[in-house]
Amino acid sequence: MELSFTQGRWNYESWGGFDPIPSSNAKPPGVELWAVFDAPQHLIDALWKNLTHTLSGLFCASINFLESSTAYSAPEWSFPPASGKLRYGTLPREAVCTENLTPWLKLLPCRDKAGISMLLDRPSIYRGFYHSQRLHLTSTGSGSEGMDPGIILEQTLTVVLQPDSQRASLAHASEKHIQPSWSLSSIFGKQISGRCVLAETSNVYFLLDRGLVAELEHIHKENEKSEENVLISEKFWNNPSFELSAKPDRIFIEESSLLSKNASVLYKFEIEKYGESEPFDLGLFWKTPVVWLCQQAPLHANRFLMGSGNERGAIAISLKSTQSSEGFMGSNSNDERCELRVDVFQVVPWYVKVYFHSLQVFVDQQPKAVSDIIEKIHVSPSKDKVSPGVMELVLTLPCSVSSAVLTIEFDKGFLHIDEYPPDANQGFDIPSAIVSFPDFHARMVFLENDSLNKSPEKSPVMSYTEVLLVPLTTPDFSMPYNVITITCTVFALYFGSLLNALRRRVAEEERFLKDK
Amino acid sequence: VDYRGYEVTVENFLRVLTGRHETAVPRSKRLLSDEGSHILLYMTGHGGDEFLKFQDSEELQSHDLADAVKQMKEKHRFKELLIMVDTCQAATLFNQLQSPGVLAIGSSMKGENSYSHHLDSDVGVSVVDRFTYYTLAFFERLNIYGNASLSSLFSSYNPSLLMSTAYYRKDLYKRRLEEVPVTNFFGSVMETIHTDAAYKALSRRNSGRFEDEMSLDQSVHHIEKRMLIKVNDGEEIHDSNPEGEEGACKCPWSTFRNKFQKAEN
Repeated sequence: MELSFTQGRWNYESWGGFDPIPSSNAKPPGVELWAVFDAPQHLIDALWKNLTHTLSGLFCASINFLESSTAYSAPEWSFPPASGKLRYGTLPREAVCTENLTPWLKLLPCRDKAGISMLLDRPSIYRGFYHSQRLHLTSTGSGSEGMDPGIILEQTLTVVLQPDSQRASLAHASEKHIQPSWSLSSIFGKQISGRCVLAETSNVYFLLDRGLVAELEHIHKENEKSEENVLISEKFWNNPSFELSAKPDRIFIEESSLLSKNASVLYKFEIEKYGESEPFDLGLFWKTPVVWLCQQAPLHANRFLMGSGNERGAIAISLKSTQSSEGFMGSNSNDERCELRVDVFQVVPWYVKVYFHSLQVFVDQQPKAVSDIIEKIHVSPSKDKVSPGVMELVLTLPCSVSSAVLTIEFDKGFLHIDEYPPDANQGFDIPSAIVSFPDFHARMVFLENDSLNKSPEKSPVMSYTEVLLVPLTTPDFSMPYNVITITCTVFALYFGSLLNALRRRVAEEERFLKDK
Repeated sequence: VDYRGYEVTVENFLRVLTGRHETAVPRSKRLLSDEGSHILLYMTGHGGDEFLKFQDSEELQSHDLADAVKQMKEKHRFKELLIMVDTCQAATLFNQLQSPGVLAIGSSMKGENSYSHHLDSDVGVSVVDRFTYYTLAFFERLNIYGNASLSSLFSSYNPSLLMSTAYYRKDLYKRRLEEVPVTNFFGSVMETIHTDAAYKALSRRNSGRFEDEMSLDQSVHHIEKRMLIKVNDGEEIHDSNPEGEEGACKCPWSTFRNKFQKAEN
């Protein structure tokens, strides 16, 4: 099971999309929950409902809105881990605040009172561009890999912060634009003073990713003309490009992957050695300006709405090749039959009625026949007020593709007046689509003498598209009041005039007095 | 925070008060109160003559609130209830109340508006209303060992500072306000009795063993709640209750003290 709370959008262009960090930690905004059940099929929906309610109570969020069948779906093969007993749901508009972080921290043995989690200063986290807290539960069945049966809970908090560049530029002359230096105390305002005593291991890892390592080696070779790879030598932490304030206990180099000749470098700092008297504060001090690119996924996925008006529209998913795709396909682009496989999984709420027959594919701005590009498609059309429309596609694009666009048309439906949320005029959300590349695995393997592995699980490279906001026609919510007042006025005028006309005698009182 | 965003609806509010939830709703989203509980209900927002607005699309009417409180009383879900309302014409919201044991105070009377205190220039909207601000100011002035009473709280509201008249209704509340400490509803003061016996877990069938029983006073904020923990063993109460008048539904506090005295003896 995985539950994630995210605020902000992962900027794939700047922060990368290929490494394990973006692939497993870039999540759609709001709440995303998926779970694989080990129960008979007919019980799974009831179990899912109970799960959503329990999680909503535990994390103080409205996860219970995922209980209704219009909010979740059961993807068959496009969402890993693919199995028939998977349920997937997402709430794009759920806000994430410190009230959700606190129960998440309560699951940690030392909460935020000791160890690395002491750094979690709330204002610093929420000031960042993106923050996402994630819980991943796996239950190990008996006898798998010699582990005892139990549950493994993995919690990850991903924060993207910008160091305060004003402080950093004090030390350097202003004509050079250097990327800002930072330290844990400058970002979070705190240092790590020792580890949590309940933790078996407590480590801080500092990763220089492939693009950066390549740039640094390039600069170093140009300046020093020395063959030695400074980053992993003894004096690495004081090399001409940057300086680290703490000495790492171990250095790992990524086992070079087939796709890229560069390898990332990982520094490991063991927190056990630090304590109250000597707190741990990792600082990076840049000396030369360096510009590097984070490795991107083969294609960059974007999604947007087309059309205007409140009756119909179209959704378009565009896939654009990124610069690093040349590096990917380099090894086998000679082969004309090279194909890139792209999986697309999209859930659309029932009130956005998608016409699956209107699916069109454009490759390099030329329309193509759908059967050429789409290898496999599974569609579950929406039922009004019962289930959303689910689309799972496998596309096979030529490796030399520069852009591909999928468009699909839809009609906007109507909701019952009670079903409109209080802020109906803002619009309704279509959750993020998931674009994954099963041919590529986001994996970083670091080997040392005792073959320590990092992130050994095979997970395909995944990216989430934007959440779309669809304005639907909203009724005039004051109409019932207007109708009642108009109707009552008409009735009052009618009956008043009728009774007047029937019973009123003009000057009757004078005649009565006269008769007397 | 247990309910937020689209979940804050009149229906959910009334469900929380009356306890009629679907089976799947977790405990942290329920009001787990019993006949000995003291509940604080604090409501703020926009309101008017006999109503309070929820999310700009729904209203809570005063007779709905009175009905819910009546149901709560019938189901023995509270012993004392304090309702504080901070809206325009707040006092009209509790016009229809009839259940005993309820004390209600509103920030303004019929025909009066309630005003906000100050706004924050970063956020751009008002951050606190006057009635709430002066309530908080009262509590911040308190000494933790002092024994301020509800009457001192209610008389601390100055109509010229509030720009409205804070009106309270005590005809349904039997105790004199001068004798009721503010910790009756705000915060919780528990009498703790030290015992050397080991704490035994709940076991329903043993009638011969002495078992500890705890009952906490509970305060309920508009959205926030604290859990009520109650270890109940029905048989023990019946056996050890020396007065034995009402049988089942005796106040747990007195039952506990009785049991302890019996143990001491």
